[in-house]
Amino acid sequence: MNLNKQTKASSWQYLLIGIFIFYMLLPIVSTYVFSVATRWDRTILPEGYTVSYYIQAFKASYFISSLRNSFILSIATVLVGLVLIVPTVYWVHVRIPYTKPLLDVLMILPFGIPTVVLALALVQVYNFAPLARSPVLLIGAVVIYSMPFMYRPVSNAIQAIDVVTLTEAGQSLGANTFQLLRRVIIPNILTGIWSGSLLVFATVFAEFTLTKLIVGARFKTFPMLLVEYTRINGNTAAAFSVISFTIAWLASLLILWVGSKGQVPYQKAIGAR
Amino acid sequence: MTSIKSRKRNITDLFGVVPFLLFCLAFEIIPIILLIRGSLIDKATKAFTLKHYLSLGTPLYINSFWNSIKLSGLTALIGCILGTLIAYAIYRWPSIKVQHALVTLSDVTTNFAGAPLAFAFIVILGMNGVITQILLRYFHIQLYPKLSIYSFSGLVLAYVYFQVPLMILLVIPAFEGLKKEWFESAQSLGASNFQYWWRIGLPLLMPSIIAGLTLLFANAFGAFATAYTLVESQLSLVTLQIGFMIAGEVRHDPGIGMAMSVVSLILMGLSIGLYQLSTRRAKWLVRSSS
Repeated sequence: MNLNKQTKASSWQYLLIGIFIFYMLLPIVSTYVFSVATRWDRTILPEGYTVSYYIQAFKASYFISSLRNSFILSIATVLVGLVLIVPTVYWVHVRIPYTKPLLDVLMILPFGIPTVVLALALVQVYNFAPLARSPVLLIGAVVIYSMPFMYRPVSNAIQAIDVVTLTEAGQSLGANTFQLLRRVIIPNILTGIWSGSLLVFATVFAEFTLTKLIVGARFKTFPMLLVEYTRINGNTAAAFSVISFTIAWLASLLILWVGSKGQVPYQKAIGAR
Repeated sequence: MTSIKSRKRNITDLFGVVPFLLFCLAFEIIPIILLIRGSLIDKATKAFTLKHYLSLGTPLYINSFWNSIKLSGLTALIGCILGTLIAYAIYRWPSIKVQHALVTLSDVTTNFAGAPLAFAFIVILGMNGVITQILLRYFHIQLYPKLSIYSFSGLVLAYVYFQVPLMILLVIPAFEGLKKEWFESAQSLGASNFQYWWRIGLPLLMPSIIAGLTLLFANAFGAFATAYTLVESQLSLVTLQIGFMIAGEVRHDPGIGMAMSVVSLILMGLSIGLYQLSTRRAKWLVRSSS
């Protein structure tokens, strides 16, 4: 790929890449160290190490419930997203390919809507019980917001297989659409489904804006607890941040691992924050 | 059994996408349309009005838009330049393995936005932050109050953190689209390395760079969580103002919030539209010149 086949990287490359890696890793590494440091404002390296902030964090009053809420929200969003998007993408590819541009537009639309604007619009329209400021409304909002992350990998996976031939083969054996999806299509696009699901899971797990603005304190998620603690207790907040970073790392590693197992190249959708 | 390909367009086939369309209508399209309508209607008299938009002329809102545009524009520009340079360094790196590792790093870090990222910056650059203290003790450089992580300059540092890797991811494919033959023919005609990049490489990359710039702008303009955690109400940004209105932390006519939202939607729409145009141009350039 390279123009001039270099055998060694030149010094400007080392400098630039060095600064880049430093800038990318410094905040994360510092947070990890800070979460186990007794005192770290007088010396270059911490004066001592402790796990007491983690014990404090685990004992914090909303710790378990906020983790549980975040898991509920993320998993519910993944499931609703899968049920909505996988059959739709399949259907559009096989039956009505001429509507694909419309689907593409619908999928890029959430990028053009700032999350606060989506929150305002939903809160204004659904201001009646039982939807008003409810977790159900939140799931609806988060599904919209995370849709592009599910769509890209699933759509790429469907494009990579000969979906029309598979469908015709299944139909000639007497399978209906539901059987086709379950027995033929889904097993063939599992890589895309897993990549999309993990990406949505990681995105929603870190979601703060929609949760805070649509439901507020009644449904406290992990990022909300973290923001709360940045103002109360920095050390506990560091422990929360580390947990949050670690979940994000794990999800990213899983996405890479899943991507390397399938033949479908892992392609990430880019989200507007 | 007729083949799917030979089948005519069948109206009933359209029903397959109804659940998905209904969901989008219910949770996205209709609320946004009603938001636009609400911004143009006087709540008391139900008559058409432009007064919400006229209220945006007050210093608080002008300031919010100016700050948001300044922050998004500046971090998009910094992210764009640094991202392109680093992408070039990655692209010219001799080891494919290192290239992959660096792209993966960008992939992971561009998603580290929001509250955890904001807090990580407080850890290193807060009032008692690690870097702040090291600079003070060993280099006698006093950051505060000149540079504060809780202010505009701090937001720039935090936003650049997720803008640079995003730019790398956007522009790396464009570098890889440059054909070796183009460089070789330029070289055989006596062009220097600089001449190749100035006359051929950069113009071919330009649409992708502009596409990156517009997407980075939209990315920063819509951001909320990072700014909320860092500056809260010390700096007014469009997204923060809208957020405060929803949370009921400031009492304002919701119409003003809707008008702000509509103006933001227009700005975002323009940048996403430009992004789409530039990517199309980028694809066309690569296709037509090969």
